[in-house]
Amino acid sequence: MTTTKELWENALVELELTISPPNFNTWFKDTHIVRVEDGTVFLGVPSQFARDWLSRKFHKDILRSLRGLSENVRSVEYIISRGPKKVPEEVRPIPTAPSELPLEAVHSKTNLNPRFTLNNFVVGSFNELAHAAAQAVIRKPGIAYNPLLVYGPTGLGKTHLIQAIGNHFRINAPDRKVFYVTSEKFSMDYVSALQTNKIQAFKERYRQYDLLIMDDVQFLAGRDKIKEEFFHLFNFLHDSNKQLVFTSDQHPNVIQNLEERIKSRLSAGMIISVTPPDHQSRLAIVRTKAAAHNVVLSDDILDYLASAIEGNVRELEGALNLLLIQFEMREGPLTLTDAKAVLRSASGAAKKAISVGEVVKTIANFYGIEEASIYEKTRRKEVVRPRQVIMFLLREDFHISFPTIGDKLGGRDHTTVIHSCEKVKNSLRSDSVLSSEINQIRLMLK
Amino acid sequence: MQFETNTEELREAVSIAARFAERRANLPVLASIYVSAEGSNLVLRATNLECGIEVQVPARIGEEGVAAIPAHTLLGFLSNTRGKSVSVATTGEVLKIVTERASASIKTLSADDFPILPRVSASTMFSAKASDLARLIKSVAYCASTSAIKPELQSVLLVGESGKLSAAATDSFRLAEKTVPLRSAGNVPQLLLPAKNAAEFMRILETSNGEVEVYYNENQISAQIDSLYFTSRLIDAAFPNYRQILPKTFGTEVVVLREDFTQALKSLSIFADKFSHVSFTVDPENKAVMLSSRNPDVGEQTSQIRATITGDAATMSFNGRYLADSVQAISGESVRIQSNGVGKAILITDAADSSFFYLAMPMNR
Repeated sequence: MTTTKELWENALVELELTISPPNFNTWFKDTHIVRVEDGTVFLGVPSQFARDWLSRKFHKDILRSLRGLSENVRSVEYIISRGPKKVPEEVRPIPTAPSELPLEAVHSKTNLNPRFTLNNFVVGSFNELAHAAAQAVIRKPGIAYNPLLVYGPTGLGKTHLIQAIGNHFRINAPDRKVFYVTSEKFSMDYVSALQTNKIQAFKERYRQYDLLIMDDVQFLAGRDKIKEEFFHLFNFLHDSNKQLVFTSDQHPNVIQNLEERIKSRLSAGMIISVTPPDHQSRLAIVRTKAAAHNVVLSDDILDYLASAIEGNVRELEGALNLLLIQFEMREGPLTLTDAKAVLRSASGAAKKAISVGEVVKTIANFYGIEEASIYEKTRRKEVVRPRQVIMFLLREDFHISFPTIGDKLGGRDHTTVIHSCEKVKNSLRSDSVLSSEINQIRLMLK
Repeated sequence: MQFETNTEELREAVSIAARFAERRANLPVLASIYVSAEGSNLVLRATNLECGIEVQVPARIGEEGVAAIPAHTLLGFLSNTRGKSVSVATTGEVLKIVTERASASIKTLSADDFPILPRVSASTMFSAKASDLARLIKSVAYCASTSAIKPELQSVLLVGESGKLSAAATDSFRLAEKTVPLRSAGNVPQLLLPAKNAAEFMRILETSNGEVEVYYNENQISAQIDSLYFTSRLIDAAFPNYRQILPKTFGTEVVVLREDFTQALKSLSIFADKFSHVSFTVDPENKAVMLSSRNPDVGEQTSQIRATITGDAATMSFNGRYLADSVQAISGESVRIQSNGVGKAILITDAADSSFFYLAMPMNR
């Protein structure tokens, strides 16, 4: 038995042949079968215009084509309905208030987001130093490490950490003033203060804080006036033993267009780098985040997530959110295969089309071996490993089927390919040289 | 088909109908006006499938018939002719129009393809003065959203209760509501008329002095206004329950002269930046309201308006355009502005007339 949807689609195909395209597009757009009852087909149409016109002009054609497809159709009725997708919507109480985004979450006086605390900060070997320094700053603000500068690539929790310092400080000393600002916002404030002749108010405002947290100081580079203002502000706060906390995406000494005097001041306290998390830390992060959403995911899924998404914690979080949505939508538990499918569909789309030959060439070059030797039936050690890496990458990054990979690489059996992929996967966990090699190759393939 | 009629009346009817014809429709026949000559009347119809119009014109009919005539060709020709009467005849697909000084042949389309205008059964209806209904729509329609994301905000709400007919529209940044007397007994459920169609409806209502009966069902609304029949689709959605968000009490109340306020807003718009930002300062000590706008590329302006103030001083930011819009629906001498301070919505009303209010959200600064 065909569904009503298929029935109508087949009928439309027939109708399209007998009706002129403008007429067909105008009148049959957004039509669908609402239900079938005792041989009567109830056809949903978008408006009264369409209802009147279809029933007057095309009734015979519609009935004929429906009858031809299904013998038990006896008549057709037209009803006005917006479409099967329509869900009755609750009346929302607040239609206005757009200029007021629902930002209660951000504390207006301090600009801090209370979501960021040290309690939900996952500590691993990659960031334990930063975490310890943050705790020291919270205990002894202005004394322990002043200024504290955390640097590292994007998405590794720098903002989380410094906002957490602010949040804890605010709770410990409610009468003292904390302020979180991005260097971008600082620059904008400065410019608008200049334009409105309120530079004095600007200076006083920033000089009142007991803890000033500035995100992404590297963006100050190259803006002379703002750098100067920043320099004076820094001196004032630092001299009066107020705590300063900064983040940057690189070490201050390598930021270009930044004066020595600012570099040396930024380096005066404590400089800590955060590096991308290792496998164990990633696993811990995924587990904490999943627990925060009150969702229990099986260990193999978490493990897969931690190994599939490398580096950036933000990406990891994004992938996890994707899984959580799937988890909410489906009834039963999520299996590893489902998880793989979800993540693949999300990341696969972004991959550039690249041929197997190019992959082989790149990797052969990388290992400094003849491209042809990959395809040969040789088991020399220096060829075997690159070949396994090729198979692994073709499978994991390009989602080519096992038999196809075998076929493309000189007619090997698919079980050989499966074995190679497993082998690389297993040795990745312990072999850091291999893992860095693969990371490099991935960069070259991008 | 062959008929003769008054040029002026035909031109008037065609110009009304042409507004409803759609030039770039999927269906070419929608760009035309359907003309039917029958008995002693011409009937002109045009529709874009969202709304439709039917106009009757008295004529001397020589031979009954129908034709679908490209609207803009016909209108273009008629608006540049002279003479008291015009005679029209079709031969095959070609329509020949003869006036005092000119004659034209226009290629017509197949009238068979022209859609039927929906009729709404007479069982559910309300009536009101046409001028009231026009004013009702005019007072709020400009607030409707232009974005198609939420169809309910792209429309004008009509609802009738205890002898009053109210209309409301909002684009979620500001909201206007107007009330006029309802002539018929009984309530009118929430009807959501697409704002674009409402504007056409308003233009037609403005031509009439009498009373208008409006018929409606779940999907369609229609009205007979003298010799015009108007019909429009209704939107099947729920309008936000805006009464819940109206502030009940206010901390500050300002009354200014409408003239002053309108003029100040007009001249401020010259200096407004691309967000039309206007800062609005209530100064109870000097009994004045200060409005200022500045555009770094143009300059700046401050206007001071005398005002009666009760409550505290405050400085708020608004989109100047939104403030200026509010005044167009106010006809009294003075405007009352009520607020609850920074970051809260303000309510603008006619100080002497409670049938209209306008709620505007401030700008984030």
